[in-house]
Amino acid sequence: MNGNAPRRSHFFPRTRDGRTATTAFLALFLLAMPPMTHAVLNRTDPWIFGLPFFYVALLAVYCALILVLIWAFRRGV
Amino acid sequence: MEAWVVATGLIVVYLVLTIVLGIVANRRMTGDMEDFLLYGRKAGFVVLYLTVVASFHSAFAFLGSGGFFYTHGVGFWAAGTWTLLVGAITYVIGTRIWALGKAFGYMTPADMLADFYESEAVRVTVAVVSVVFTILYIQVQAQGLGYIINVASGERISFEAGTLILLIVAAVYLMAGGLRAVYWTDVLQGVWMYVAVWVGALVLSYELFGGPLELWRAVSEQRPDLLSLPGPQGFFTPGMWVGMTITLSFGIVFQPHMMIRYYTAVDGKTIKLLGATTPIYLMTLYIPAAMVGLGGALVMPGLEGAQADRIFPELLFAYTSPWLTGAILAGATAAAMSTLDSILHANMTVLTRDVYQRFIRPNESQGHYINVGRAIVVGLLVVGYLLSVGTGDYLVVLVTLSGAGALQLMPSILGVCFPGGRTLTRAGVVLGIAAGLVTLYVTMVVSPHPLGMHAGLWGLLVNTAVALNVSVFTTPPSAITIHRVHGEVERFVYGTEDG
Repeated sequence: MNGNAPRRSHFFPRTRDGRTATTAFLALFLLAMPPMTHAVLNRTDPWIFGLPFFYVALLAVYCALILVLIWAFRRGV
Repeated sequence: MEAWVVATGLIVVYLVLTIVLGIVANRRMTGDMEDFLLYGRKAGFVVLYLTVVASFHSAFAFLGSGGFFYTHGVGFWAAGTWTLLVGAITYVIGTRIWALGKAFGYMTPADMLADFYESEAVRVTVAVVSVVFTILYIQVQAQGLGYIINVASGERISFEAGTLILLIVAAVYLMAGGLRAVYWTDVLQGVWMYVAVWVGALVLSYELFGGPLELWRAVSEQRPDLLSLPGPQGFFTPGMWVGMTITLSFGIVFQPHMMIRYYTAVDGKTIKLLGATTPIYLMTLYIPAAMVGLGGALVMPGLEGAQADRIFPELLFAYTSPWLTGAILAGATAAAMSTLDSILHANMTVLTRDVYQRFIRPNESQGHYINVGRAIVVGLLVVGYLLSVGTGDYLVVLVTLSGAGALQLMPSILGVCFPGGRTLTRAGVVLGIAAGLVTLYVTMVVSPHPLGMHAGLWGLLVNTAVALNVSVFTTPPSAITIHRVHGEVERFVYGTEDG
């Protein structure tokens, strides 16, 4: 290969599983960032399993993000 | 038996254990530099997992996070975002760093960047940034250790003496067994600290409130201001949330003690599994920290500034048995020491490899460099001690500053690990880092966090802009080097050399 030739970008996934994992991770991650955190999740009610909404909602998002990473690993992304 | 005797005694038992592990590791050493500095690039999943999480979580997680929940409320649950991001960064970038280290024999972050950008100026810049900002981290851990032993001994051992004793113990087992000793002690420390913080928080929540759920209910009734953003003092603005997330994920991963860990893995799959699973440990450690900090705000109000970092040990001493307190404070000691030894090791590696071997005595024996590394550890120990007894800032503030400094390496690292973007030049990288650090100083010290955005992000924005613009007008690395390095990344990620 000619060293001056541009390579295909590594910033965008090339496989279907790669695109799925990246999209899912980014979408979920945005749920744990402003403005979602400060405008939508920022409330104590309702209480869920005896815990405030904000805390539980973020915990659920974090768990989902971990599942995405494990899914990507199992799929060999 | 008095509580302080039990607590101090258990910490001593723990310290003796770490020294024994250091001696055993010393007997397994081969006298090879790669073995001493990089564990022979043979670290398997379990050892690597526990050393990464133990190094990531430090006195900051054990003491500082409780203090932050105590002062600023549930906003510190943002910690989950940066621990998740650490997993993703490890998965995507850590694997590439591992592949390049394996292919080209890199031992330090500066090795990789100087090779790709074909510049010794880049090497020196990266080495200086690596060392200067992680010395702050040594200070954080040393201060944490001083607090712990001071509290455990009922203030019979002074903060200064406690700091010195624990620094010396870490330095002794590091000098004896190199990275093998660090990894083995991290396995012990990683397990101990996780169990300790969970047990401590649960016992306190049952003792003081009747259980975790009752604790949360009490907080909502007595201090509802702790349960919403931006917190009682208005700290967790959107800009601060984003800034801390970026700074404490990329900024910590790009510190030398974390990057060097990627080089040590036995294979790339181990790094991927590490990335997928480390957030489980990292994130869930903040659950008990929240219970300690928020519960502490109700039963022990009034602690301000750096005093709030002591909330966990203060609660343990006041409300639990001496044996449990001792075991948990030994866990806190483990949290601080596992990070401290990793940073001492990383700085030793950077200074030995990137400065001494490169510029001072390039053609000495492996044993010579190992001994120089040991001497450097002694020097770092002295510097770390002097810094730790000289200032008394919040642990979290120091950690954030340390992460913000290492974050300035981000554009240059992405330029190496991600083919297909705009290629940065050596001038762009060096000037970008310099501009980022100046901006960091201005936005952290002169005019803190303008527009509510974290100083680390301001630094990164200016850094990236300068690096990209300067790179337009200056000479890029040679096509041969770009092809060699990016070809290796392409081969590792997609199994083919041509993009």
